[in-house]
Amino acid sequence: MSGLTLRLKAPATERLTLSGITPAKLSALSEHDIAHLDVGIEKGGMALGDAFDISGSAGDVLTIEGATPELDFIGLGLDSGTIRVIGDAGSYAGRKMTGGKLEIHGNAAHFLASGSTGGMIHVRGNAGDNLGGMIPGDRFGMLGGITVVEGNIGSRAGDKMRRGVIVVRGKTGAHTGSRMIGGTIWAEGGIGPEPGLMMRRGTLIGPSVEKLLPTFVDTGKHDLVIVRVISRYLKTVLGDLAPKPMPLFVQKIGGDLATIGRGEILLPAA
Amino acid sequence: MSKTVNGVVIDDTFAEAFGMSGTGIIITADTLKWARIAATVATGFGTSVIGCGAECGIDKELTPDETPDGRPGVRILIFGFSPDALVPQIRNRIGQCVLTSPGSACYAGFKSDKSIALGKGPRLFGDGFQTAKKLGGTRYWRVPVMDGEFVIEEETGLTTDAVGGGNMLILGTDRAGLLETAEAAVDAIAKVDDVITPFPGGIVRSGSKVGAKYAGMFASTNDAFCPTLRGTTKKTELAPDTLAVLEIVIDGLTSKAVADAMRVGLKAVTDVGAKRGVTRITAGNYGGKLGQHHYHLKDLI
Repeated sequence: MSGLTLRLKAPATERLTLSGITPAKLSALSEHDIAHLDVGIEKGGMALGDAFDISGSAGDVLTIEGATPELDFIGLGLDSGTIRVIGDAGSYAGRKMTGGKLEIHGNAAHFLASGSTGGMIHVRGNAGDNLGGMIPGDRFGMLGGITVVEGNIGSRAGDKMRRGVIVVRGKTGAHTGSRMIGGTIWAEGGIGPEPGLMMRRGTLIGPSVEKLLPTFVDTGKHDLVIVRVISRYLKTVLGDLAPKPMPLFVQKIGGDLATIGRGEILLPAA
Repeated sequence: MSKTVNGVVIDDTFAEAFGMSGTGIIITADTLKWARIAATVATGFGTSVIGCGAECGIDKELTPDETPDGRPGVRILIFGFSPDALVPQIRNRIGQCVLTSPGSACYAGFKSDKSIALGKGPRLFGDGFQTAKKLGGTRYWRVPVMDGEFVIEEETGLTTDAVGGGNMLILGTDRAGLLETAEAAVDAIAKVDDVITPFPGGIVRSGSKVGAKYAGMFASTNDAFCPTLRGTTKKTELAPDTLAVLEIVIDGLTSKAVADAMRVGLKAVTDVGAKRGVTRITAGNYGGKLGQHHYHLKDLI
């Protein structure tokens, strides 16, 4: 695959922030300017060329090899093209993404896809807490786009999420969909304890849930057309990565009744 | 100079059609039967914008693979003089006929840069219990109803390049044979995508002329083509042996679709018409004053 490749020279001695390091932005810079981009957070700074061996030429694809969890903000603001991360990504990967694709061939730390409005994130490994969540200063968590995590994810995924889809092959941690306003989280391996705390709207889908909050209520068994629409949409955009369709009938758990109660947890009907 | 094909005379004239705004809507249901019922009712009373507000019809049936929810469906087309004229028609027809139909759902059936409201009105039936689900760039509304949820897409595509009033007039000496031939033409046209024949069964027996002697009537019977008035009206278009005239009117999302539909319709008529008493095919034109789209019959044979 052509494009620019960044290879971490040595284990990072400080956290590095790769905010704004996107294929489109690098394409507009000279080799000299790329090498002098500041990626450090400590006094004195750290230039991109000091931390990484840079090879190839800027194009639609940016590959980060030898990535470690010290690399934060990978793909922040990505709007087009592809970033491939070979290794693990630090926190805030894919934050405020609007388009393009972020592939992480390893694990991702916390706040993956926070505040993103578009694009596609694919994590081969696990992801940390607050996937698609918000950080102080944000009004909302994830606002659009699709994130697929093949492993498990941490707690409070989708905190204040408003739109978009999170697909998890494994299990979610506690309080998935807390304060959720909209969007969809589909966990094929099961939903962790006490999901949907203070959720207003939004959809959590999974084969099981570990423990329900008392402010959620069983609304019965339904054949929901929207589940078919979601399944078909995900099959179209994700292909083989799409979750297996739910059974025709689902059990709908409505809540959180501590708020307006328009949220839902969908489980296979017994 | 007229032309004769398989014993049927084709007049050297053109069908005069006019620009319209149009949209497509997909209606699905648990079974094709119920998708058809919802679509039939929603497109009912949709023959002519002169009196109906919109010209509507079923374009085609869709397999489960072709619909957004994997259920059987039907695509309907709705045409009006302007986007503004379509808005209340869509709202009322979908709200009254699809929302109410058991198991139905409703989606955009036409992709375009321009869009028009589809679920924006009917969603309010949810009385605050409705929720939206946005997937990619598409927003779906989920309206709680007594048999579950009515799912409806927020918008559908709109074209202002649609064409209304493509037509052909079929003249003959045997009324039953004429009707059978017109039915064959409508069946052939039904296989063309992006067009509808909005009149009952696709066939019109009340061809109209513009204006009338009575105040408030925008159109009235086309006396030149009424067999019973032959000789008594000032201008008759009918030969002595013509017993009846039937018209097929075609609306399409594109001019090409209308031309294609007329082509297959004319072929169907000329293929079987002579044996069933069809003597002549002509078309309704108004001297070029009605619309910018002219479909010359000789170019379509």
